[in-house]
Amino acid sequence: MKHGKSWLPAHILVWAYALLLVIPLYYLVASSFKTNDQIFAHPFSPPTSLSFGNFSEAFSSADLGMAVVNSGLVTVLSLALTLVLALPAAFALARSTGRAAKVVEGIFSLGFLIPTFAALFPTFLLAAATGLFHTRAFMVLFLPATAMPLSVVILVQFMRTIPKEMEEAARMDGASTFTVLRHVYTPMCLPGIATILLMNFLTFWNEYLYSLVIIGPDPSQRTVQVALPTLKSLTGTDYGVLTAGTVLTLVPVWVVYTVLQKRMQQALVSGAVKM
Amino acid sequence: MTMLSPTPGRAAARPVAPAGPPSGPRRRKQQGGTVLAVPALVWYLVFMVGPMIAIFVIAALRWPGMLQPVSFAGFDNFRTVWDDPVFWDSVRNTVVQMVVALPIMIVCAYMLGYYVAQKPPGHRVIRYLLFIPGLISTPAKAMVFYAALSPDGLVNGALKAVGLGSVTDAWLASPSTALLAIIVLDVWSGIGFTAVLFAARLGSVPEEVGEAAQLDGAGHWRTMWGIHFPIIRDYVGVVTMLQFLWTLFGSAQQVLLLTQGGPGTSSTTLSFLVYQKAFIAADLGYSQAVGVVLFLVGLVGLLSIRRVFRQNY
Repeated sequence: MKHGKSWLPAHILVWAYALLLVIPLYYLVASSFKTNDQIFAHPFSPPTSLSFGNFSEAFSSADLGMAVVNSGLVTVLSLALTLVLALPAAFALARSTGRAAKVVEGIFSLGFLIPTFAALFPTFLLAAATGLFHTRAFMVLFLPATAMPLSVVILVQFMRTIPKEMEEAARMDGASTFTVLRHVYTPMCLPGIATILLMNFLTFWNEYLYSLVIIGPDPSQRTVQVALPTLKSLTGTDYGVLTAGTVLTLVPVWVVYTVLQKRMQQALVSGAVKM
Repeated sequence: MTMLSPTPGRAAARPVAPAGPPSGPRRRKQQGGTVLAVPALVWYLVFMVGPMIAIFVIAALRWPGMLQPVSFAGFDNFRTVWDDPVFWDSVRNTVVQMVVALPIMIVCAYMLGYYVAQKPPGHRVIRYLLFIPGLISTPAKAMVFYAALSPDGLVNGALKAVGLGSVTDAWLASPSTALLAIIVLDVWSGIGFTAVLFAARLGSVPEEVGEAAQLDGAGHWRTMWGIHFPIIRDYVGVVTMLQFLWTLFGSAQQVLLLTQGGPGTSSTTLSFLVYQKAFIAADLGYSQAVGVVLFLVGLVGLLSIRRVFRQNY
């Protein structure tokens, strides 16, 4: 037997770690239905009632509803812009054989080495200089840039697998370059597009520090990740409300993960090369 | 899919390499060539490369506040930083963070990844669970920890429940445990996700390799460290580099959310110092000087990790 008796310690350790991953989540969900007193007295016991009071409290005191809309807006628009920029770029790089294309591809690959965080303050200056400071618009312009290196490299790899004959056949029928991209390449690298969409969805939705500094604390503009920590002080740390708010920010990601589990795992693994 | 192959190191070397195979007789010129890559390239240069370069410029400026006049300072900022005990505290904290977190994370994650890759019973469930930290945003993780480590939270509750009430502490507010809490958060969330990366890579090692070793009488321990580890050695290097960078640069967020660098400077890391000097103390030259230091530390770290994990067979 491959996983015989000698594996027992391994089984125990692994499941213990799995438990360590699950317990905080359980605590999170259980606490979101409890009051402070109940949490302090019985941190492990399941909630006694399934009232959504904490959730509506989190919603109203931190304006989470607005924040979800803002996050959604920023995420979706950034994803769209990422695709609009990355698809033609990858298309061009995958087809051309010239030296210029090699250099450009190299520059994109170097992007893996740039730690985005380090440039927080200069980026903040850039936002101020363009007059887009304290707006969601700057984040929509900025986030795709951070996603560009990996997105382009992944799409190029997909597009290189498309046989040249496909394009030649389309050309025979009089297709323009744009038509080739739109009707030949894009449909054929849908798996690649899905990968970068999922990977970037997660990064964009979960982005914190840049959103905090650039969009700032204005409740009508800020994203969920920025709104969430404010619950800590706003409510004098009502842990029930805090955990309820946290659960709320996890829901969209959780839904996507559960529906697209396999694909999401693949996307995450490929996205790991990124900062 | 082989997206895992472009390692940062190799990627960096790519532009230097001679431009591919000799492309024979020049082929029919393709319409709409490299021009289509220009918008993406411009975007990336403006929003990422530009600010990156600006760090070095600002580090050489005397800029005592957002609306204050700016003058050239040369290396003055670096001298100030060098003489500041707070800087050295944060260096120490960052070193502690790396020395403790990285080895634990990589060794545990590798073993866990190996375990998952052997497809033991229940590996699907494990794999699903290991992804959890990868999905949760930093603020959400921090809030979970904030609630769990609070004086009346999960951890103290558990300690009391097993009769260790005397060990309880205000974990995030105590100088001796604040940094530890940050490290634990990193390790807790890092192991699972890193393990999945290892599992993905180990999954592509041909099964015969392991089977042959077992036939020769090697136990799982031997196979894991003696056979599989050398095979994916350079990949371990890549993952170590990533974790190193994530920890080095990313810790600003955890620190900001959980301890604000305190109490005192007991949990101020280098990357948090960059944030704190820029956005709280408004000492911009100082902040970016530390930014330059951080960048250099990152670079030196990357190169040394790369050296250690170089394929050597």
